[in-house]
Amino acid sequence: MVKLTIDGKEVKVPAGTTILAAAKSAGISIPTLCFHGRLDPIGSCRMCVVEIEGCAHPMAACTTPVVEGISVTTNSERLQRIRKDSLKLILVNHPLDCPICDKGGECLLQDLVYEFGIDRVEYQTPKPERSSQYATPLIRYWPDRCIMCLRCVTACREIKGIGAIDIKGAGYGSQVVVIDEDKCQSCGECLQVCPTGALTENLSRYKGRPWLVKRVPTTCTYCGCGCQLELNVEQNRVMAVTTKEGKGVNRGSLCVKGRFGYEFINSEERLTKPLIKKDGEFREASWDDALSLVAEKFKSIKEESGPDAIAGLSSARCTNEENYLFQKFMRAVIGTNNVDHCARL
Amino acid sequence: MAEGKTLTLNMGPHHPATHGVLRIVLELDGEVIVKATPHVGQLHRGIEKIAEGMNFQQVIPLTDRLDYTAASLNNLGYCLAVEKLLGIEVPKRAQYIRVIMGELARIMGHHLWLGSHALDIGAMTVVFYTFRDREMIMNINEEASGYRLTPSYLRVGGLAKDITPDFIKFVRDFVKWFPTAIDGYHTLLTDNIIWRKRTMGVGKVSAEDAVNFGFTGPSLRGSGVPYDLRKVRPYSSYDDFDFQVPVGEVGDVYDRYLVRMEEFKQSINIIDQAIENLPEGPVNVDNPWVANPDLGAVMEDISALIRRFKIQCEGPHAPEGEVYASVEGSKGELGFYLVGDGSEHPYRMKIRSPCYILTSALPKMIVGHMIADVIAIIGSIDIVLGEIDR
Ligand code: FES
Repeated sequence: MVKLTIDGKEVKVPAGTTILAAAKSAGISIPTLCFHGRLDPIGSCRMCVVEIEGCAHPMAACTTPVVEGISVTTNSERLQRIRKDSLKLILVNHPLDCPICDKGGECLLQDLVYEFGIDRVEYQTPKPERSSQYATPLIRYWPDRCIMCLRCVTACREIKGIGAIDIKGAGYGSQVVVIDEDKCQSCGECLQVCPTGALTENLSRYKGRPWLVKRVPTTCTYCGCGCQLELNVEQNRVMAVTTKEGKGVNRGSLCVKGRFGYEFINSEERLTKPLIKKDGEFREASWDDALSLVAEKFKSIKEESGPDAIAGLSSARCTNEENYLFQKFMRAVIGTNNVDHCARL
Repeated sequence: MAEGKTLTLNMGPHHPATHGVLRIVLELDGEVIVKATPHVGQLHRGIEKIAEGMNFQQVIPLTDRLDYTAASLNNLGYCLAVEKLLGIEVPKRAQYIRVIMGELARIMGHHLWLGSHALDIGAMTVVFYTFRDREMIMNINEEASGYRLTPSYLRVGGLAKDITPDFIKFVRDFVKWFPTAIDGYHTLLTDNIIWRKRTMGVGKVSAEDAVNFGFTGPSLRGSGVPYDLRKVRPYSSYDDFDFQVPVGEVGDVYDRYLVRMEEFKQSINIIDQAIENLPEGPVNVDNPWVANPDLGAVMEDISALIRRFKIQCEGPHAPEGEVYASVEGSKGELGFYLVGDGSEHPYRMKIRSPCYILTSALPKMIVGHMIADVIAIIGSIDIVLGEIDR
């Protein structure tokens, strides 16, 4: 165990802990921007600077491990000034986009600017030309909103183990780019961790403000993993799918299907009533009619050609109970072992 | 009627002389009242509860709808409470303009009181004159904020915007004209023999009783107690102005009438001083968490845009704690008790309504009088049900 003092408080933590984590365990909060709980510390934003006695320069708390006996100050006039200046330098390049930005209202940059009460940005640079591009058909990248925190790049590499994106260029010209098109699966992990609106979802853009939607927690139905997700519902329509950090088996991650495959819910083409083909044309029918027709046909096939002429195909999107009932139905009622399932195909 | 038998008469809630929707159940012995029970709540909108779901700035229009006859004074009381909770003080110019708006609102409230009070008692002419002059204040409200009756012009941290040159002109015109108008009101009523017979010696409240009932405002001062929050606990720069607190002697309907008539004069006097000595400067606090950046800055500066976004959508978070702030409303001490819990909503808001307390004394005041006097007495305590029922 290493002993140190933070803001006059004695703290004891295991060796290798960062100052940020040590402060958190003592109930002291240090402002952060690029730091993300699921990622290794990145150390790109300098919001978390702290003073360490004997060190001439302030250090980033998220990347600096504790050392025996040091004394740390997390809040002083100088630190506040540095933090404010770091924010201002980020703002210099930031476009006036809040009114049209999908992230407005749950943007970490907004929160910090308001928290620090920044009322003026004294610096100026020539504004780079605006461009917006598709990172993929599902994810949109807005280079001028990007604050170069590297969360997306790190998440792609560390959480997904893919490493499909990276930073290209230097200084004001730097951009997040796809370095390997074949590798990117559009899982959206990058936009999940993006603190600003630099990466937004292409399906639901401009459809509503985050605080206007109702977030309904549910379980993903695509596969047996059972990822926890939240349907963002506005006026009874699903606008987007999000997930909470550290929740469920997926702990804040989703795959491309879970995150983006929601449009079928409100699709116009979705079948809501059974159809029966008559004279080469499908017509709407009642459930009673449809089910008796199926039962009749089953019966006649079974009588004519035996039960093994029928096979049942079930789905991974059904629950275990439903699948159990299905095979029971096939075996006990129809009398065949011809049961299969899409996950095995 | 047989000995010992009384008649129960239901008065209100839809009675024009109950000033809103007050219902009083009267027990009569002949025409004399032996018991009276006021029933309130017909106009309950749950303003205190609604406020808990709103941010601090959003609550302001709700307060207009308390005593809607003098809306700006309600804004002022509420804003002072929130500002106390947040620990901010608005600039001098804003304080002066708030005083002007507040005193104009007081005059508006008294206009409605005088017009309807006289109308209730049978003098129909007065209301035409008071409403003629009330219209001038409505125009001033409109110039300031765009709204006439419920201006919602005040904001936590200052004002919605600065005043215009036209505003100053309208106020000056009004200040110049109004003393003549007051003389006109006096001509109609003060020495009017019917008026005096209907009001003198009716609904008497002694100074001691008035204090014990919790009376405030003109109703308390009519009984001879010189208690005015603008003097005893000055807020919003009231100590800068020279004015008097009129008091009555007997504590009857006529005395309360005279007190309010004199308040017209004192209010116009205060407005005159404020508009002539209006300080220069900003009208909003210099506080990045409260004051909305102006639109010019928002178009150019991202930090202003972000702050405006956050202030509009969320607003300042109040620290944990509780405060009480009150103002001299047109009816009495209008107080706001606020509890903050660190969020952008009031955890609890409680309104001390002067009218509610005045109403609680109604049974005592009207027992022993005739039915016709009930109307005079209700008029003389000048209650507004929008504030009582909240
Ligand atoms: S949070 Fe430590 S540098 Fe960004």
